Amino acid sequence: MDIALAVGVEKMNEVDTATSLAVGGRGGNYLWEYHFYGTTFPAYYALYATAHMARFGTTEEQLALVRVKNQKYAARNPKAQFQFEVTVEDVLKSRPIAWPLKLYDCSAITDGAAAAIVASEDAIRKLRIDTPVWIEAIGYASDTSNITRREDYVSLKATKIAAQMAYKRAGIEPRDVEVAEVHDCFTIAEIMAYEDLGFVEKGMGGKFIEEGQSDIGGKVAVNLSGGLLGKGHPLGATGLAMIYELVKQLREERERGRQAPLRKYIALAHNIGGTGHYGYVTILRR
Amino acid sequence: MGMAERKAGSRKTVKIEGPTIDSVPITYRHRIPIGRTVKYWDGLKEGKIYATRCKSCGAVYYPPQADCPYCGSSDVEWIELPREGILETFTRVYAKPQGYEDFEPYIITIARVGDVRVMGWLINVKDERCVKVGDEVILGTTYIEKHNKYIITFQLKKQAMLTTQYGLT
Repeated sequence: MDIALAVGVEKMNEVDTATSLAVGGRGGNYLWEYHFYGTTFPAYYALYATAHMARFGTTEEQLALVRVKNQKYAARNPKAQFQFEVTVEDVLKSRPIAWPLKLYDCSAITDGAAAAIVASEDAIRKLRIDTPVWIEAIGYASDTSNITRREDYVSLKATKIAAQMAYKRAGIEPRDVEVAEVHDCFTIAEIMAYEDLGFVEKGMGGKFIEEGQSDIGGKVAVNLSGGLLGKGHPLGATGLAMIYELVKQLREERERGRQAPLRKYIALAHNIGGTGHYGYVTILRR
Repeated sequence: MGMAERKAGSRKTVKIEGPTIDSVPITYRHRIPIGRTVKYWDGLKEGKIYATRCKSCGAVYYPPQADCPYCGSSDVEWIELPREGILETFTRVYAKPQGYEDFEPYIITIARVGDVRVMGWLINVKDERCVKVGDEVILGTTYIEKHNKYIITFQLKKQAMLTTQYGLT
């Protein structure tokens, strides 16, 4: 196989919110979780948020800062679902969904599609593609289905294992990554991603966003598309949408104010399935 | 509706152009076999929570498993879990899924109970902001009429000690 087209598509808007919450909640371990206790996707991540806040003193304001940053970029992304900025106060005052997560801590119901052409080195040479972006490595891992059997509620083990695998295969360190699209389905998910991907040590994710380290000008520019929170989270298209954004970033084709400054031209995509059931980390380089 | 929500709601979305037709809706209900874990389901009715212990390798498993996930043996025995635990994390669900719309916002909790963790609803709590990770909880079971099922419920120990009755309603 020399050239392949990968397509991701999702249509989520035609069901009501309660049905959508049920479909998500049933995506966990149905019998022991949804059937008995009515778990939802926001609830699963809220369980992580509560534990992270209790253990490391992460605050609701720090969670809110993730949304503020991501909306800053979504407002500049013509393909984003929500093209406006928000303040910390907007986030804190939005209605509770699964405490401590509020409306603006959560990604929304989104329709969307994304595609990428994947080609062999030979095909790229033959077709004389002058701006290829190379897949340096892919790491992947899975975790327990039942959430009560996870190691802890302050990190996603699947992310940690997938990241270690990807870094090792690519021969790079976390500090080499200059631009990243991470799986911010909820604000707490982005905080945990900073830590589990090794951008900052465990427990310091709240401080990392507070210091602007995940913004342009910080240690690594994260979710300049607006992320799942701002750009949108059409589940089946989300992974490829991350790749699309990073290809544009690595080619330095982004709008002013939304382009990451690059020296090493190394990017990372982090995609999660379920509520941490599967983790994928892809390293791209131009 | 707060300012933040109006902003989100006022965003333009791409509308479908032209006429549409409705699909035929689908509903389905699974029949979940419990033949090999009946002891667990009966236990809930008696206010008892059972886990399984593998007689071959000794592994304790919760939720219960008729076959040991570690060594594959089907020679497992039932053990009753302790009635007290430590709250590890929790959330209060305000946006409720289909089938749970009629419930008051409920608190889903995960507690450490002996060597395993147990999920349940924390009950008799007015405000989730009064609940803390590390709080001691008492385990029980409660009949949920709307779904005709028994579920595991926790009460804060400090609160349960104030009342003489542990029968949770």
